Amino acid sequence: MTFSKMLSTMSAGMLRTCGLFALTLLLSLPLGMLVALLRKSRLKIVQMLTRGFISVMRGTPLMLQLLAWYFGPYYLFGWSIRGWRFPALLVGFVLNYAAYFAEIYRGGIESIPVGQYEAAEVLGYTKAQTFMRIILPQVIKRIMPSVTNEVITLVKDTSLAFTLAYQEVFSLAKQISASQTSFMPFVIAGVFYFVANYAVEFGMGRIEKALDYYK
Amino acid sequence: MIIEMNHIKKHFDGLGVLHDISFGVDKGEVVSVIGPSGSGKSTLLRCATFLEDIDGGEILYMGQRAAYTDADGKAVYVAPKELRRFRSYCGLVFQQFNLFPHYNILKNLTDAPMKVQGKSKAEAESIAMELLRKMGIEDKAKAYPFQLSGGQQQRVAIARALAMKPEILFFDEPTSALDPELTGEVLKVIRQLAEEKMTMVVVTHEMPFAKAVSNRVIFMADGVIVEQGDPLDVFDAPKEERTKQFLRVFEQ
Repeated sequence: MTFSKMLSTMSAGMLRTCGLFALTLLLSLPLGMLVALLRKSRLKIVQMLTRGFISVMRGTPLMLQLLAWYFGPYYLFGWSIRGWRFPALLVGFVLNYAAYFAEIYRGGIESIPVGQYEAAEVLGYTKAQTFMRIILPQVIKRIMPSVTNEVITLVKDTSLAFTLAYQEVFSLAKQISASQTSFMPFVIAGVFYFVANYAVEFGMGRIEKALDYYK
Repeated sequence: MIIEMNHIKKHFDGLGVLHDISFGVDKGEVVSVIGPSGSGKSTLLRCATFLEDIDGGEILYMGQRAAYTDADGKAVYVAPKELRRFRSYCGLVFQQFNLFPHYNILKNLTDAPMKVQGKSKAEAESIAMELLRKMGIEDKAKAYPFQLSGGQQQRVAIARALAMKPEILFFDEPTSALDPELTGEVLKVIRQLAEEKMTMVVVTHEMPFAKAVSNRVIFMADGVIVEQGDPLDVFDAPKEERTKQFLRVFEQ
C-alpha cells in the first residue's frame, strides 16, 4: 500500500473523528452548564443526584462508559443494538464531557465575587438578567484556560471510539498497520491529532485574546 | 419620609446584630451613621436596600410598607414584583465599588436603566454622560473599570446608582477602600450631592466629613442607636458615655 493510499483511506477516519469531536463539543458545552446549575440547585435531592452523576462520570474510565452505553441496552433489556454504535458513542462522550465542563463552570461561577451579585440586585436586575448579563460573561473569561485543556483532551479521547470498532482515524490506523505491517499509519494519526490540537490551541488563544479587553 | 425603619431586628445564626433599631429619613436629609466596626451599621444599610432580610420590625418607603412583622412575630416581605418597585426607590454605593468589569464606564451606567427600567439607549446615554460630567470623568466613558483609579471607580459607582434616579442613596463606607489622597475626591462628590438636596445615608469613619456635611448623625454601637442628633451636638457635646469613648479615639 502506498503512502498516498494510506492517507486517503485514513482521511475518511479523520472526518469521522472531526464529526465526533464537533458534535460532542456542541452538545456537552451547553449541557455542562445545565449540570452546573443543577449542581447548585436549592433542592437538596437535585443537588445530590447531580453530584452522584458527576462522581460516576469522573470516577470510571470513559472506555468502560462507552462499552456500557453500547452494550447496555442489549444486556439489560435484550434490545437490538443495530445502528446504535454512533449514538452510543455520542451519548458516552457528551455525558462524560458535560460532567467535566460542569465542574469547570461551577468553579468559574463560584469565583465571581459576591459583590457582583449584590450590585446587580440593588440595581434591580432579575436573577436571570444577573446571570446572563453580569455573571456568565465574566465566568467565560475566567474558565477559558481550563476549557482549552478539556477540549484538547477531547481531541485525543475520540480515539477511544476504537473500543466500539467505530472507523475513526485511530481504528483505521490500527487496522492498516496490522495488515500492512507498517508503523506509518500511526505516524499519520499522530500528526493528525497534533495538527488538530494545534488548531484548537490557536482558536482558543484567539478567543482568550478577544476577551483580554478587561481585567 | 422617604424611608422609615421601625423596630428592626436582625440576627445571623442566633447572634443578634440589630436590636430594635428605628429611624427615618426625610426628603433632602443627609444622615451620617458612625460607630465602631461590628456595630451593625452596614447590616442596617443592607436591610434598608433589601440585600438582607430583617427578622422583625417594618420597613416603609414613601409611606408604603415593604416589610412588616405578622401576628406570629415573623417578618414578611411584599411579593417579589412589588419588592422590585421598592428596590427602585433606593440606591447603594459599596465600599468595594463593585463595578461590572466587563462593561465600559458608559455601559456600567446605561445597562440597568435600559434593561431594568426600559429606557431608550439615547435617553440612558444622555443621563449617563450628564452624570459623568458632574463627576468630572466624562473623558473616561469608553474606559474599563480596571483602567481607573479607586477614586474614579467609586465616582462611577455613585453615578451608576444615580442613573437609576433613586429617591434615596445609601453609602456603605464609600472611602474605606481608598488611599487617603483619593478619599477627598469622593467626599467632594457626596458633598456636592448634599448641596443639591439629594437624600442620603452615609456610613462613614470620616468624622470631619460627617460633621460638616450631614444634617443628622447617628451613633451606633452593639446593634443599637446609642445617640443621634445635630452633628454639632453629637460631636461636640455627646451625652452618652459610649459616644464620648468612641469619639475620643478619633481625637488622638
